[in-house]
Amino acid sequence: MTSAAISSAQAAGQPARPGRADGRIDCEVLVIGGGSTGAGVARDAAMRGFSTVLVERADMATGTTGRFHGLLHSGGRYVVKDPKAAEECIGENIILRRIADDTIEDTGGLFVTTPIDDPGYADKFIQGCKATGIEVQEIGVGEALRREPRLNPRISRALVVPDATVDAWKMVWSCVRSARQYGATVLPYHEVISVIRDGSRVAGAVVRGPDGELRIRAEVVINAAGAWAGKIAAMAGCEVNVRPGKGIMVATNHRLVNTVVNRCEMPADGDILVPIRTVSVIGTTDTLVDDPDDWPITRQEIDEMLTAGENLVPGFRESRTLRVWGGVRPLFQDSGPAETRDVTRAHAVLDHRARDGVEAFLTITGGKFCTYRLMAQDAVDAACGVLGTSRPCRTADEALPDSGEQRFYRIGSRLAGRERTLHDEQLICECELVRRGALEDAMARRGAASLDDIRRALRLGMGPCQGGFCTYRATGILHQQTNLSAVAANRALLEFLQERWKGVHPLLHGDQLRQAWLDDWIFQGVLDVEHLPLADQERARV
Amino acid sequence: MAGLTAAVRLAEAGLRVVTVAKGLGSLRLAPATVDILGYAPGRVDSPASALPGFVAAHPHHPYAAITPGVLADSLRWLAEHVQAYAYVGDASANMLLSTAIGVPRPSAVVPETMAGGDIRSLRSVAIAGLRALKDFHPALAAENLRAAAAADGMAIEARPVMLSPPTDGEADVGTLGFARRFEDAGFRRAFAAELRAALRDEQAVGIPAVLGFDQVRSVWTELQEAIGRPVFEIPTMPPSVPGMRLARALQERLRRAGGRFVLGAEAVGPEIRDGKLAGVRIRAGNRETARLARWVVLATGGLASGGIQVDLGGTATEPALGLPVFGPGPGEPAFLPGYLGEHPMGTVGLRVDGRLRPVGQDGEPVRPNLVAAGAVIGGARPWREKSGDGISLSTGYLAAGTILEDAG
Repeated sequence: MTSAAISSAQAAGQPARPGRADGRIDCEVLVIGGGSTGAGVARDAAMRGFSTVLVERADMATGTTGRFHGLLHSGGRYVVKDPKAAEECIGENIILRRIADDTIEDTGGLFVTTPIDDPGYADKFIQGCKATGIEVQEIGVGEALRREPRLNPRISRALVVPDATVDAWKMVWSCVRSARQYGATVLPYHEVISVIRDGSRVAGAVVRGPDGELRIRAEVVINAAGAWAGKIAAMAGCEVNVRPGKGIMVATNHRLVNTVVNRCEMPADGDILVPIRTVSVIGTTDTLVDDPDDWPITRQEIDEMLTAGENLVPGFRESRTLRVWGGVRPLFQDSGPAETRDVTRAHAVLDHRARDGVEAFLTITGGKFCTYRLMAQDAVDAACGVLGTSRPCRTADEALPDSGEQRFYRIGSRLAGRERTLHDEQLICECELVRRGALEDAMARRGAASLDDIRRALRLGMGPCQGGFCTYRATGILHQQTNLSAVAANRALLEFLQERWKGVHPLLHGDQLRQAWLDDWIFQGVLDVEHLPLADQERARV
Repeated sequence: MAGLTAAVRLAEAGLRVVTVAKGLGSLRLAPATVDILGYAPGRVDSPASALPGFVAAHPHHPYAAITPGVLADSLRWLAEHVQAYAYVGDASANMLLSTAIGVPRPSAVVPETMAGGDIRSLRSVAIAGLRALKDFHPALAAENLRAAAAADGMAIEARPVMLSPPTDGEADVGTLGFARRFEDAGFRRAFAAELRAALRDEQAVGIPAVLGFDQVRSVWTELQEAIGRPVFEIPTMPPSVPGMRLARALQERLRRAGGRFVLGAEAVGPEIRDGKLAGVRIRAGNRETARLARWVVLATGGLASGGIQVDLGGTATEPALGLPVFGPGPGEPAFLPGYLGEHPMGTVGLRVDGRLRPVGQDGEPVRPNLVAAGAVIGGARPWREKSGDGISLSTGYLAAGTILEDAG
């Protein structure tokens, strides 16, 4: 479809759809990166009537977005150190509660002064909240302990702020659904292999997908690759200094608190405990790494998280720890080294024409999950500039699919649903209450042969048994539902076991080790998955 | 299994036996096939022939204490002690039986209801699933069985059949629920009629191992007669109906021999008197008492049962009696990044002498009147080797033998 055709489609009130022919797509806006920022940019651009394509090298939300603790900041964390970031957080917190309630649990947040914290920080915190527009209320220690009985009884002050928790995968897929409704083409599992240059301007990208290579020509390219933005920029001949800041998190097998609990102190390691869905997550650390795709998690880091958890909730060390994982923050800094916690959490839109003499190429980086919508707005505003047009952003006003009625997720929502269908439908994952119909729908919708993709949609295998009981069942259903060959289904099973093992083995001890060994008994003893038939090249990979 | 085997044998020999158990144990989760040795690391056709070389290469393996005679005696002992149905096979040859995902798995001694599934004697089978049973997927099992057999140079036709016998509207019926239903004559008739109608000219039918509990033999026989061809059971993931049959059989034997079984009692330490092991400290509820005994058999299981525990620092302990544990040292890697790797922690456990007495670093027995049996003994990779219940049975049998010798 030519630009003229796009314009006429818009004039007729139709969604602007990219034109697609053999191995080639033409569009106005190409978004690189399928995290929260990229998904937000695709939605925003499509809503403004631009024909839009998004490409992501893996599944949506598998980079940093899918690997954080699930905290929707009130901004309290940044009020003293980074007031600009705090203002952005509270602004977006209010907007997201309005447009994305289906993805949010309104847990509220507490900032508590623990025995190791500066007692004077609470006053600075209250001032900071007032200055940045964050609603804050001090409650007595007794009241805080009544709300959260497992909290350290030696806290001296407790401040209530509007923190919440958010299901990042649900948020990203809601943006994708909305973007698609507005005509966007969203392509997970399409990796950029080169950026197309047309003289001094960027004119698109060549991507490799499951069906081979695609040439995507675009009038503007938005690099929303987060911690990987430097790699994409380098393909366009630009240097962007994004420093991957690793943070690790540890999940316990149930909710130790029902409110987000933060230490009332300058941001530090392991100072947040987040109740998200069925688990609690302690986080996080902040260490620079060289390569966003390759970094270790050490037992020492895990030990530090457990010690930090002990400070917030005594007995934390004895709780059953399910899993450890890490994500890499995209810390953007144009020059000079610095401690990672000193790098601003605010975001930046780089127009590479002014910066590097490369036209029609923008990088949106820095920032954090809570501000993804605002980041997208700023990026698409800049894209409007490149395209010589001005169209207002509407993402703050129009709710995402399934949201907009102030019906927040509640911890008991899934259980209530399952109680209604208990006799009529199989429960495939007992830990996370995943019913068979939901699994079959997700498999049909995604057309995916990856159980890990299904996991992100449904939380399959994310509970205490970490896939011990649901993996075989889900593989059998996948094989039936998607007409997959047995060798492909076997591969899906082994890849899922490997993916689960990845987050389990670094902290395996205590009761969770016992669980893992029971799981091994099932897979290696009873089923003997080690000797599953595979295609030859797949056997080599496993 | 190790604990019950030792307890029954000792009680039947006339000793006063008390079995204390924290829980019902992993036997109820086990497929209840007595796998002796299936992989070492290549597939083993004859465990009896492979064991001498295997033990020579693995001197700390529990089988190092098991002579061919003890192994054969223990297998005979088991067959005599399970009343519900026969255990068939011996250590001279492995059968190849399909798992619930269709992998042919080597197993030496199995319930008669499973033995007909040896794929080397079959050319065409139907794999029958139950619609309300989420723990058995016949289409995947059948396709894998065909592919795996072909890779092994065997041509076998395996066709999936999905059956929907009446379940009173329940969409989600577990293995135990079906086993109970199979003890109902009306359900059996309906099931057999549906299965008969679904079959073509297959030689035999594989179905999940849910053919009743105590009545398994008559259920199985009746079903074979009704469909006019052999039926073989395929073990499922836990909870396991064949495991429950075996556990019930051994517990009933223990009761009849006058042995006691105390459930909900956790061993928390040794009772030492005059410097000697005089019994075990037991916690039941919030009460801790000493239970005195002349001999103690420790059969608390391995990592999966809590018989061996590991802390975050990678230190492994044996919590019941505080015995020396052999595994990767502090700072050494415990687990490898690849799921199917040979994790160093996988072989953690006690070491024993030739009479199954736990030893210390010096190789000497810790206590003369203490023996160990089953997965609490380290040195094995039971699920990889397919050796689990073979180790449990033979060491349980030998542990009793050591005590009987000492008792004179």
